[in-house]
Amino acid sequence: MISVGIDAGSATTKAVLVDSKVMVVSKNIIACAICPTGFDFIAAAQKAYEDVIEKAGIEKKDVDNVYSTGYGRNSIEFADKAISEITAHARGVYYLYPDVKGIIDIGGQDSKVISVNNGKVSDFLMNDKCAAGTGKFLEYTARALEVPIDELGSLALAATKPANITSMCTVFAESEVISLRTRGLAKEDIAAGLIESIARRVAVMSRQIGLKENIAFVGGVAKNDGIRKALEKELKLSLFVPQKPQMTGALGAALHDIR
Amino acid sequence: MHCFKTIEDIKSSYTRRIRQIADERIAGKKVVGTFCLFVPDEIIFAAGADRVILCGGKNDTIAIAEQYLPRNICPLVKSSFGSIVNDGSSEIRSCSHFSMVDMVVAENTCDSKKKMYELLEEYVPTYVIDLPQRPDSPEALQYFLQELEKFKSAMEKLTGNKVTSERLQQEIRSSNEIRQLFHKLYELRKKDPVPITGLDVLKILQKQYFLSPHAVKEYLNTLITEAEQIIPDGKHKPRIMITGCPMSGGNTKVPDIIESRGGIIVAEESCTGTRSFLDLVEENKDPMLALARRYIRIPCSCMSPNDRRTDIILDLANDFNVDGVVYYTLQFCHGYNIEKNKVQQALKKAGIPMLFIETDYSESDIEQIGLRVDAFMEMLS
Ligand code: SF4
Ligand code: SF4
Repeated sequence: MISVGIDAGSATTKAVLVDSKVMVVSKNIIACAICPTGFDFIAAAQKAYEDVIEKAGIEKKDVDNVYSTGYGRNSIEFADKAISEITAHARGVYYLYPDVKGIIDIGGQDSKVISVNNGKVSDFLMNDKCAAGTGKFLEYTARALEVPIDELGSLALAATKPANITSMCTVFAESEVISLRTRGLAKEDIAAGLIESIARRVAVMSRQIGLKENIAFVGGVAKNDGIRKALEKELKLSLFVPQKPQMTGALGAALHDIR
Repeated sequence: MHCFKTIEDIKSSYTRRIRQIADERIAGKKVVGTFCLFVPDEIIFAAGADRVILCGGKNDTIAIAEQYLPRNICPLVKSSFGSIVNDGSSEIRSCSHFSMVDMVVAENTCDSKKKMYELLEEYVPTYVIDLPQRPDSPEALQYFLQELEKFKSAMEKLTGNKVTSERLQQEIRSSNEIRQLFHKLYELRKKDPVPITGLDVLKILQKQYFLSPHAVKEYLNTLITEAEQIIPDGKHKPRIMITGCPMSGGNTKVPDIIESRGGIIVAEESCTGTRSFLDLVEENKDPMLALARRYIRIPCSCMSPNDRRTDIILDLANDFNVDGVVYYTLQFCHGYNIEKNKVQQALKKAGIPMLFIETDYSESDIEQIGLRVDAFMEMLS
């Protein structure tokens, strides 16, 4: 059976195609595609879907099921079913990392922590009321620091004395960054301070739902080594980061019907 | 789901009730406005007055309140205050009943309400019942009894009627009848599948504080008859219990989300739920003492300790065969937000999943709440 999972995120749309007939575990994933979402969820989903089918070298009629997840999951009409990203991430990570007990996902708009038991969600927490503790926080503060967001992590690794960022609020943190810069603090130290601040915030959420071991770190931000390290330090354990941490939602959706 | 004629009637009852109140006032009857379950209806009715709830569930009047009140207090307090002080100078309209009361009967519960009442006095005569905060002590009962006696005198003064023991007994019996009817309605919700949605039940839960007791009884009777005849369709849906802050009239946001995303609400432990009817008032006893005893036990988070609430939640979860609990709070309601911790631990121990939703009256977070509810439903099925 061939299934496609589409994760319609606010920044990017991801698609994963799996074939459940392939008997070798971890080889079921046939193709992945990713494209920017822009302003049109449906068009982006369509594009990611076509891309993934093309990469797999098959045709639309060969696809048995399409499952959508992510922010725009309910607007994708050609999907057979919509699944929440929380369930999808749990399923996707479980496939890649069967011992998983917890998931941390820092996305562009929100951050989530999920407690997982045998691939099923047993508890979760989300922060979506404000930008603090999300990718947005990094995006805005990186801008104030005038460094590309992807470089924030490597910059932070070079810090000698991380600055103390006290504002949780993104808007205030942005001005805090500016005032730290005028006081002459090194960019590296400010970057480390920012990353520590987001790590602290996310670590509190993880503790709230009792994540202790076998934790995976997913979402686009997980590619950022500096943040991973800061989180690991804060949580006092090492995190599992999948090769393509931004794809686990789409993967989980694709695997929805496959046990 | 079935469309209940009674619910349709309740939805259109507003203007009829407003006309009734207007007529009553012309005829010299006094009408008081209340905000809280700690104020015994029995005393109000025994004094020959009528009452309407003034708790606001609408978002738009909050903007008016924010001219006077800080932004970071609960939306219920802001919405109510805004509806009352609205002088019509803006486009925003308050519901008519907010300007149809002769006196407000307030109570010292949470800080936000307590201090809001102090401001309210400038706009409408406000009587405040003080509440002891540690309800389990014997002194507390005595004190509360005295407060109710004072309140009784205030009602006598307002209406010019004497509140006799007989009248109180009558009203206690009448209110108990309503409570028993609610018990009966809730009994039907123990069935699986359930014959009636949580949204439908919420309508009458909200309106019970607005309509006359006579109307509430009638609606409950016909609703129960209707619901008894229904053979609900077969599909099992996750059975949800809501617990937490009140959902005032106009506010159905979270139940809407839950029931449009595959869940079915089978019980609500809140002031628009079991707290209004779970305990009856003892009949044929000293009526004032019986009232004091019953009302002081209301498991509200303004009281400390309030462990009885956790026990009730566990019992209800069991009785109603609940799959999951949605702990619902209004933003900045510190009492219920803090109490979440204890309830969550107790539910965890009992193996019952819980989803926490803190929100306000705006529509801005509907999608975000929807995502959590979706995930919660997937988790439960
Ligand atoms: S929650 Fe407490 S303060 Fe609010 S109406 Fe209920 S009893 Fe009164
Ligand atoms: S919901 Fe909470 S803060 Fe608001 S009035 Fe009731 S007890 Fe007070």
